[in-house]
Amino acid sequence: MLAFFNEACLSQAAKNNLILGLGYFNSNNQVQYLKASTKSKINGKFRPVGDIPVRYYISSEDPANLLGKAVTNDKGIAHLFIPPSAAAAWKKSAKQSFLVVSDSTKEYDGVHSNFDLTKSRIQIDTLPDRQIQATFSEFRDSVWVAVKGVDMKVTVKRLGGDLNVNETPTYTTDSLGLIHADFKLDKLPGDSAGNLTIIAEVDDNDVYGNLTTEKSVPWGEPTQYVSSYNQRSLFARRGWSPLWLEWMAYSIIAVVWGVMIYLFFQIRKLKKLA
Amino acid sequence: MEIITRQKIIDDLAPKKFGWRGRVWVIVLLIFCFIGLVAYLLQLSKGLVVTSMRDYASWGIYISNFVFFVAISLVGSLITAVLRLTNVHWSTPLTRIAEIIAVSAITFASIIIVVDMGRPERFYNLFTHGRLQSPIIWDVVVITTYFFISILLLYLPLLADFNILLQIKKRTGSRLNKLYSFFGSFWKNKPEQIKINNRSIQILSITIIPVAFAIHTVTSWLFATTYRPGWDSTNFGAYFIAGAFLVGSGAVLVAMYIFRKAYKLDKYITNDHFDRMGKIVVMLALVYLYFNVNEFLAPAFKMKKTEEGYLHGLFTGVYSRIFWFALSTAIFIPILILVNKKGRKPLPAFVAGCLVVIGSWFKRYLIVTPTLLNPLLPMRDVPDSYRHYFPSWQEWAIAMGSLAGMMLIITIFARLLPIIPIQETIDEMEEHEKD
Repeated sequence: MLAFFNEACLSQAAKNNLILGLGYFNSNNQVQYLKASTKSKINGKFRPVGDIPVRYYISSEDPANLLGKAVTNDKGIAHLFIPPSAAAAWKKSAKQSFLVVSDSTKEYDGVHSNFDLTKSRIQIDTLPDRQIQATFSEFRDSVWVAVKGVDMKVTVKRLGGDLNVNETPTYTTDSLGLIHADFKLDKLPGDSAGNLTIIAEVDDNDVYGNLTTEKSVPWGEPTQYVSSYNQRSLFARRGWSPLWLEWMAYSIIAVVWGVMIYLFFQIRKLKKLA
Repeated sequence: MEIITRQKIIDDLAPKKFGWRGRVWVIVLLIFCFIGLVAYLLQLSKGLVVTSMRDYASWGIYISNFVFFVAISLVGSLITAVLRLTNVHWSTPLTRIAEIIAVSAITFASIIIVVDMGRPERFYNLFTHGRLQSPIIWDVVVITTYFFISILLLYLPLLADFNILLQIKKRTGSRLNKLYSFFGSFWKNKPEQIKINNRSIQILSITIIPVAFAIHTVTSWLFATTYRPGWDSTNFGAYFIAGAFLVGSGAVLVAMYIFRKAYKLDKYITNDHFDRMGKIVVMLALVYLYFNVNEFLAPAFKMKKTEEGYLHGLFTGVYSRIFWFALSTAIFIPILILVNKKGRKPLPAFVAGCLVVIGSWFKRYLIVTPTLLNPLLPMRDVPDSYRHYFPSWQEWAIAMGSLAGMMLIITIFARLLPIIPIQETIDEMEEHEKD
C-alpha cells in the first residue's frame, strides 16, 4: 500500500509543468480565431509541446460555452476559428473573456489560461500622395470610440512576410485614434495590374489581441510572372538541359565511341587480313 | 638481363592449371561470393531496410566500395597507357596484370552500384529517363565507355598471344583452345596485322587516358556537386584521381608478388620491377598526401560552423581512429617502407601494397559516410539510429562478396590468359639480343 502510494506520488512529481498561452486574432474585422500554445521546460530549455488536447470556451468554463476542441501540433500550437454558434455570446458584451483548458496527459497536468478582450477594429484608408491612414477604435456602449495610444504597424504584404512601408517601424494612435504613414517604396513589384496589399496591424496587445486589416492599392509595378519551367537550365527537368551541355556531352560521347567503333572495324580488318 | 629462349618464355608464361592452393583460393572466393549473393537476394526480397542505411547515411559501404573499385580500375590507364605512350619498356610484364585488374574492378563497380539501388529493376530508367544535367548519368556513360575501352585494351595485345597459345594445343587443352580459337584464330602474325594492331593499341592508349580521368573525376563530382560538409570542394577531381592512381599501383604491387610466387615468374617480374613500382607508389603516395593536405587544411583553418562537426569527427572524434589508420596505412607507412631500397624488395613491397589497398578502402569509407552523418540541415527529432551508421551483416556480406568477385575474375583471367604478354616479352628479348 505504502509502495503504491510512493509510486503514485513519484509519478505525480515526475510530471512537467505545462505553460499554456492563449491569443485572440482578428483578420479584416471578419475572421476571428483563437490560438493556444503549449510549451514546457525540457532539459533546461523551453520547447513546444505537441499532442496536448485543449478545449476553448467563451465567457466561462461551462459546457454550454464550449467553442471547440483541438490538439496542439508539433510546434505546440492549436487554432480554433470562433464558430457562428458563439455569435449570441459574443454580442452580449463589449468585453469578452476567452478560456483555454488543457486536458491532463501522462506527462502534464491539466492547466488553463484566459484572455480578456475588449472588442476593437482597425479601419484603413488611403490619402493623396500615397499616404495611408488607419483608425483604431474600440466598442464601448454600443458605439465605436477612437482610442489613443495604441501601437500599430503599417506594412505591405510580400511573399515571405510583411515589409514596412517606410523607415518607421511602429506608429501610435492620436486622440482621434488615427495614424498616418507615407508609402515610400518605389517600384515594388505588384500583381499584373500593379496592385499591392497594405496592412495595418496591432500585434499582441494585452487588451485588444492581434488585429490586422488589409487594403489593395495600385501603387506597385505591374509584374508578369514568367515561369522558367519550360526553359533550358542545369536545374531543369529531363530533356531541358542547356544546349551547350548537350552539345558538349554528345560531342565527347560521339568522339570516344567513334574511336571505339573505328577500332571494332580495325578488328574486322584484322580478320579479313587472315 | 638474362637471355631466355623463345620456347622457354612460352613454357613459362602459358596459362597453367591451378595446384591445390589455387583451387582452395577459388573455393574460398566462391564461398564469399555465394554468401554475398544470398545476402543480396535477402536485400532484394525485403528491401534496403536490411541495411543500416537510413535517411542520413543513405550511401554506406556499397558506395565506398563503388568508389574503391572505380579507383582501382584506373591503374589500367596508368600502367598500360601512360607508361606505354612514354616508351617505358620495363612495365611490359605488368601491363596485362594492370588491365586485368582494371576490367575486373570496373565490372564490379558497375555491379555494386546496382546493388545500392532499392529498385534495381528500374535501372533501365537511367537510360530512358536520365537527365543529362545529372552527374549520375555522366557516371553511367563514362563507366560503360571505360569498361569497353579496358576490354579492348586487354583484348588487342592478347591477339598475338592467342596465336602462340594455339600453337601449343596439347599443353593448353581442348576447351581453352576453343576459347583462344574463337577470339584469336584470325591472327596470323602478318606484318599488316601487326601494324594495324599496334596502331589500334596506340589509339586506345591515347583514348583511355582522358576517359580514365573522366571516370574518376565524374565519380568525384557525384560528391562535389552536392553542397555538404567535406564534399563542397573544388579539389575533389584531382584528389580522387591521385588516390585512384595510388590504390591501383598498390594493387599492382600485390598482384605482382602473388603471380610471381604462384607462377614462379621471378625471371619476368624481377626485383627491378618491384623497385620501380615501389618508387612509383612512393611518388603517388606523396602526391596523394599533398591533395589530402589541400583537402583538409583550408577548411580546418577557416573552421566554418558547417564543417566543424565533420572535421572534428575525422581528426579527433568518432572517426579519428579510422581516419588516422587509413592515412597511416595508405600513405605514411607505405612511404616509410618503400622509400628505402630494401623496402622495395618483393616481400616488403607486397606488404606496402597490401597496406595501400586496405588503407584506401577505409579512406573511401571516410569520404562517403561521415559527411552524410553531418548534414547541413539536420532533421528535427531525428531518430537516434539515423545519426549513426555501422553496416549490417548483409552489407558486409555483399561488400566482401563483391571484393571476392573482383578477385575471382582476376583469378579466372589468370587461369585462362597469359598473365604476362608472351609475344611482347619475346619481342623485347629479341631486341635485347640484337643490342
